[in-house]
Amino acid sequence: MQNPLSTGTTGSARDALDIARNALNEIILGKEAQVSLALSCLLARGHLLIEDLPGLGKTTLAQALAQVLGLSFNRIQFTSDLLPADILGVSVFRQQTGTFEFQQGPVFAELVLADEVNRATPKAQSALLEAMEEQQVSVDGTTRQLPSPFFVVATQNPADQIGTFPLPESQLDRFLMRIEIGYPDEASERELITGEDRRTLLAGLEATAGPADIVALQRDVRKLRMNEPLVDYIQALVRHTRESPDIAVGLSPRGAQALAAAARAHAYVERHSGVFPDDVQAVFEAVVAHRLKPAANASHHAPQELARHVLSAVAIP
Amino acid sequence: MSKRGARGTDGSLLDSLPWTLTALGVAVLVHLPHLPIWISAASIACAVFRLAIEKRRRPLPSVWFRGALALGCFLGVLTTYDTISGVGPGTALLVVMAALKLLETRKRRDQFVLLFIAVFLTMSALLREQYLWSLPYMLLSLVVTLSAWLRMSAAPTQTPRQSVFAATRLMGYALPLAVAMWIFFPRISSPFWSVPIDTSSGVTGLSDTMSPGDVSSLSQSDAVAFRVRFDGAAPAPRERYWRAIVLHRFNGRSWSGSEPALDTRYRDRIRYRGEPVDYEVTLEATRNQWIMALDVAESWSLDNVNMGRTQSLWRQQPVDQRIVYRVRSFPDYTIDETLAGFSRTWYLNLPEGRNPRTLRLAESMRRDAGSDRAFITAVLGKFNREEYFYTLEPPALGRNPVDGFLFSTRQGFCEHYASAFAVLMRAAGIPARIVLGYQGGELNPLGNYLLVRQADAHAWTEVWLEGEGWTRIDPTAAVAPERIEAGRSGAMFAGAGAAWGLTAPSRWRYQLGMTWDALNARWNELVLGYGPEGQQRLMQHLGLNNPGWRTLLLTLLAVVVGLTLAVHGLLMLRFRPPAADQAKQIFERFTRKTGFEPARGESPLAYAARLTEARGRHNQVGDIVSLYLDVRYGGAGEDGLADLRSRVNAFRA
Repeated sequence: MQNPLSTGTTGSARDALDIARNALNEIILGKEAQVSLALSCLLARGHLLIEDLPGLGKTTLAQALAQVLGLSFNRIQFTSDLLPADILGVSVFRQQTGTFEFQQGPVFAELVLADEVNRATPKAQSALLEAMEEQQVSVDGTTRQLPSPFFVVATQNPADQIGTFPLPESQLDRFLMRIEIGYPDEASERELITGEDRRTLLAGLEATAGPADIVALQRDVRKLRMNEPLVDYIQALVRHTRESPDIAVGLSPRGAQALAAAARAHAYVERHSGVFPDDVQAVFEAVVAHRLKPAANASHHAPQELARHVLSAVAIP
Repeated sequence: MSKRGARGTDGSLLDSLPWTLTALGVAVLVHLPHLPIWISAASIACAVFRLAIEKRRRPLPSVWFRGALALGCFLGVLTTYDTISGVGPGTALLVVMAALKLLETRKRRDQFVLLFIAVFLTMSALLREQYLWSLPYMLLSLVVTLSAWLRMSAAPTQTPRQSVFAATRLMGYALPLAVAMWIFFPRISSPFWSVPIDTSSGVTGLSDTMSPGDVSSLSQSDAVAFRVRFDGAAPAPRERYWRAIVLHRFNGRSWSGSEPALDTRYRDRIRYRGEPVDYEVTLEATRNQWIMALDVAESWSLDNVNMGRTQSLWRQQPVDQRIVYRVRSFPDYTIDETLAGFSRTWYLNLPEGRNPRTLRLAESMRRDAGSDRAFITAVLGKFNREEYFYTLEPPALGRNPVDGFLFSTRQGFCEHYASAFAVLMRAAGIPARIVLGYQGGELNPLGNYLLVRQADAHAWTEVWLEGEGWTRIDPTAAVAPERIEAGRSGAMFAGAGAAWGLTAPSRWRYQLGMTWDALNARWNELVLGYGPEGQQRLMQHLGLNNPGWRTLLLTLLAVVVGLTLAVHGLLMLRFRPPAADQAKQIFERFTRKTGFEPARGESPLAYAARLTEARGRHNQVGDIVSLYLDVRYGGAGEDGLADLRSRVNAFRA
């Protein structure tokens, strides 16, 4: 098998990816795993849900991603009075020409940050989720194509309970991954305190790639083959989620596909010679946790914990 | 051309056809010396023609053309052999029909038929003769045929080498079964069971008449006549006279002797004296009825063999397969102390008007000698003193060959001397006859047996003397005593042979020949000679006392089933999973070596990190783990697998 990671016309784009990654790691300190997952999610043509407390760098990550990869960026702050038109856009009557003209909403960007997505009403949420799913929007009977690549990073604050509308499970799995950022370690935090302001750093960030490069990389990832033993491993994991008494609802076939796609992208980002079990494990919690529903009498209640438990229970074939 | 035949070939057999042709070629090889030349030529032509058709995508010949060819070849075989039954015509027909089958070979199915024929032809070689090299030859031929078989269904990625290996492996699996069959298959000695041996082709050996030049034509033949293993020491070379047949009728040129009524009472006319010699003879096929024995036989182990009135042993059926028998002979004997009148006349009979000078010479010498004994001494002395030469290439003789030999050419082989001597004796009134047989033989030190070749064929005389009976007189001994004293091979090396026109081989070549013959002898004894008696003996060793054929068949069945299961089990044990799984096995060996078992669900990289932390062997562990990942999950393939194996083998915890 030819190793698609080291050859081909996308070689320079591949190198740009490494540079982008290093730049991201310099801005978001001590979060290599999360950066790698975010890049994998983008390359697997998925969307990312970041769930964490405020002030941990969710917005910085999304902004840095857009800037370093040379993607157009829009931010939508979700509030309880947000309307679908505020997301998608609206047709405005122009008096000069006497016609309606479509005013593009903030969703028309290559990277869209949907901040605090659980604060909006389900109506506004579903407008975004449909756009994510279809990669197009329909307003006033006209279908409009969203740009390519199209990558949505949504954030959600789990601590806010009052006046929020948590995303239902059926919509959660529109997101390929759900990650948490967590507190930085001591050394990173020290640098954050003493070092330059992140916003200043962000402003000085140069783009290493463009939208076309990202599309090419996404195509490359899909060409990456998985060997039989790895497919066996994915199937064993999926089977376990369905058979485990701790889990009420196991992974759907779409979930299994998502796992494979994310593992592939992760292997690509990590420059592995193939998709390794390590890649599956690296993305497993992010891909699977928000798709699992713990059983009522389960010993592990947090889905993240459930996912880790599955990994340690299934032998690598 | 018919419509069917007009369809061109598509070149799809181009890969497998050469293999099929090779298999057929190897199978036919052993028959080649026995086949008429036109069949060999036709077969090669068919093979080349068929290959060319496939290469150029031409249509196969029409049905009419093939039919005409088949009929022609059938008639050709019929004309060549006058029959189509028997091994010779049978194989000829099979070979030529296989060649014609090539011309209608369109599909894989036809090739199967051809390969079946190849197997059959290989096996039918056993109907001719069985030699030491027969077994390796047949194994080779079967491997080639099996390879051709495998090539027909081989995947495009499979190399010819792999096919040959696979075929050899298959043969290897079958070998234990073949050996079991050979050991346990009931061996029955009744004649209807015997293999129809090819009797159409000639065999070198003695014939039942003797003309000048007959025996000397054998003198260059290295073919084995028989081998003898003595119970005690072998008798001296001059005692080794192997009697085959006695000739007593002379027509002026050649001697002949029809044989005599067979009767056990002929043995009573011999008086045996002294110590017996016991030995075992392994006689090659002769197509004749006579049985060789040292002068003179007293008892023998063959049932349907009797002694004739001239002390030859005769078998009821011709010896058309190698046979083994034991004989007890007495070198000291007296035959026919009295000779009846009519017998005496018979043994004095000479044709009218032939060889007149010889007759006159005999009369005058007999007159001068005074007694029969003195006359014999005088004749032998004449051969010895005067200019008579022993040669293997005697000149041609005319209408009176004895006159020609005695008075003009004076060069001859044993048959010339024996014939001249017998004629002289008869002319002088002494009853005389010719004995044809073998004299001497070489002791093979490697196998401790006596090897008698066709080249040791010899003719000598017996004269009847009052009170002494038939007495052996060998006139050749008077001319070339070293031929009798040292034997042919001894004389060959002593230099005397050069004078007769024999060239001695180099020492090492002679040694090589002897070694080869010793191997052959051993093979004949142990393998080809494994008959009912041998089987009974072996079964006794195995604890089966005198088993009937039912017991043997059941034993065979049990052994075959047992062996099949054993081979099957062994094959399952040595099953090798594909490369990815092999990588896993190697990796598991590595983790056992490290002493750290990976936890359940622990990924290889996590394991490597844990191991490195615990043991601090960063490079080795990291390299092995990443190599394992590359082989099992990446594209490192067979080379990576080999690298992984050697690294894990070299790893020390």
